[in-house]
Amino acid sequence: MLYIYLILALLSLALVFNAKSRKSVNAWAALFYAVQAGAAGWAITVDFGQTVWHYMTFDYLGVLFHGLTAIISPIVFFQSRSYLDTENVRQYRLYNIGLIGLCMAVTGVYYANNAAVSWIFLEATTLATALLVYHRRTVRSLEATWKYVFVSSVGVAVAYLGILMLSTAVTGEESLSYTQLMSSMASANPLYMKLAFLLILTGYSCKMEIFPLYTVGVDANHASPSPASALISTALVNAGFVAFFRVYQVLAVSDIYEWIKSVLLITGVLSVLIAAVYLRRTHNYKRFLTYSTVENLGIVMIGLGLGGWGVFAALFHLTIHSLIKSGMFLQMAQVGRIFRSYRMNRIGAYLNIYRLGAIVMLMGTVGLLAFPPSGLFISELIVLKELIAGRHWVVLTLFVLLICLVIFTLCRRFIGMLLRPVNTAVADMGSVNRTATWLHFALIFTALLLGIVQPQKFIDFIHAITVGL
Amino acid sequence: MLFALIIIYVVTLVYLAITDRFRNYASLIMLQGWVLFGVAILQLHAINWAELAFVLAETLVFKAIIVPYMLFNIIRKTGVARVHEGSVTGMNSLLMFITGLLVSAGIAYYIADTTVNVVFFAVALYAVLCGLILITTHKRIFSHLIGFLVIENGVFLFSLAVGVEMPMLVNIAMMLDILMSVLMLGVFFSKLGERIRNLTSDELTSLKD
Repeated sequence: MLYIYLILALLSLALVFNAKSRKSVNAWAALFYAVQAGAAGWAITVDFGQTVWHYMTFDYLGVLFHGLTAIISPIVFFQSRSYLDTENVRQYRLYNIGLIGLCMAVTGVYYANNAAVSWIFLEATTLATALLVYHRRTVRSLEATWKYVFVSSVGVAVAYLGILMLSTAVTGEESLSYTQLMSSMASANPLYMKLAFLLILTGYSCKMEIFPLYTVGVDANHASPSPASALISTALVNAGFVAFFRVYQVLAVSDIYEWIKSVLLITGVLSVLIAAVYLRRTHNYKRFLTYSTVENLGIVMIGLGLGGWGVFAALFHLTIHSLIKSGMFLQMAQVGRIFRSYRMNRIGAYLNIYRLGAIVMLMGTVGLLAFPPSGLFISELIVLKELIAGRHWVVLTLFVLLICLVIFTLCRRFIGMLLRPVNTAVADMGSVNRTATWLHFALIFTALLLGIVQPQKFIDFIHAITVGL
Repeated sequence: MLFALIIIYVVTLVYLAITDRFRNYASLIMLQGWVLFGVAILQLHAINWAELAFVLAETLVFKAIIVPYMLFNIIRKTGVARVHEGSVTGMNSLLMFITGLLVSAGIAYYIADTTVNVVFFAVALYAVLCGLILITTHKRIFSHLIGFLVIENGVFLFSLAVGVEMPMLVNIAMMLDILMSVLMLGVFFSKLGERIRNLTSDELTSLKD
């Protein structure tokens, strides 16, 4: 399957590259998303569990996130068509090349069964994301691109140092395959493993949008077109998580697992703390949504830091978060088009201006607040339960306080967007895409539905990933 | 011979601390490329020819020729010759770099075992620290770029410290890393140069909360 996927994906990429009109760009890009969806379906049903080309394995973790990307990316593409209606063919072509490149690179990260291969694909995501961030060709987008490429490159180089250190920790092991590294953990040098873990966590934090290198993600989302931000905040963040999670799985069988969990608890709390502070400070809705990603990934790290059911909660949380956050970012693109700004003081009365969009925003806010029926309610409840069971009283206290602060800020900002009186004459309703709004509704509705009904197959799927943790 | 090359490499790092001219920075990066080329020849003689050719191409062609050429090109185009007046003074910078050297040596001595070449490990760690010091204490973006290249070279040296049997994948990963630095040098730096006259990080502040 991988041969066919690669050939068709590269073919569509080449055709988009050579397209002479927007219509042909759309046609060939649509071919790619069809291939992407087909490949995800094929990986789940036919090739599941197989290893191909020695470095790619279609396992539960990879298939879960590939499936999510296959759902989100066509919607991103669909909305981009109307969002970028003023761009010339060249700009539109480059934007689509960036989107397709990002989708291909993250798919590589999801299935890579070797630390070096994961790293290579993550480095490739930097190139694709740079294209998307630089799309506007403004001083702001140039600054964001420079920061993104520079900090990501330094971060990923640091992670690479960690991978080399991990291979050093395992005496006599020349392969960087996760399975082989895991089997050699018993004899590994604990000090090297700790160093490797710290370096990898620090390096990959720029992709996962967590402490300490979360800032590049915030700037990248700020400068890139909103539909692209939807993909960066979900597919790319998930790719960073998958690359990190595979290292976490390797080290979970080692003697330093308890130490790792402590580090992750601290990282998670620091990420939530930063998000809570900056959610209050920011005056831009796109940055606001990105800080919300920092907060949610912080919760995911706390889940990993708890182990056991916490890991289940982390994966469940990330899945639901991807659906909500992509829907929110895509709807935010509509808000941006209507008000011609993302500044908070210029946006309001959305409920009066565009009711369907306001309902989507309201549903998304309920989802992000982790109020029932949001699926995030379940994962955060599990995290709280595990914090109490593990007697992590300090973390628990900080977590509850910070989450209260986040809830207050989210409510205030989104209620302001929906109800605050503004001059509605400035609103441009001509750019509203109702079909796209229904798609955002579907994404967020699915996330809420998963909070009420969890299909047994979905639960089993996540349990299969957490085996042994 | 190998030890002499490592000493030269350390000297280039220390010299980075005291110099304030960008031409010297570019020359030092070129010298580091040649030193790494020599180290790679001496260290990797046991592996197969394909891998050896791959590693030599990336040290000699990229690190010692293409990257320095692009650095000199940028200096010529932008006309920016020195580090920013607001950067730390040469004396303070030297003190920081020497402290970095002592810290690296201490850490390497403390954690090194039979699987790692202590000297390589210490110098690689020192290079990474130097790169980070350059990035954090300097204002001009050119210095940041040099810091990034110094870190890249440090990572390369560390991969040599880990062992001579480097899998092909590690080489590909390093090539991609170099590609990133070339991309930064070639595309974005020229565009930043067009739009931001003095190329200082203080001017990259349009993205705010």
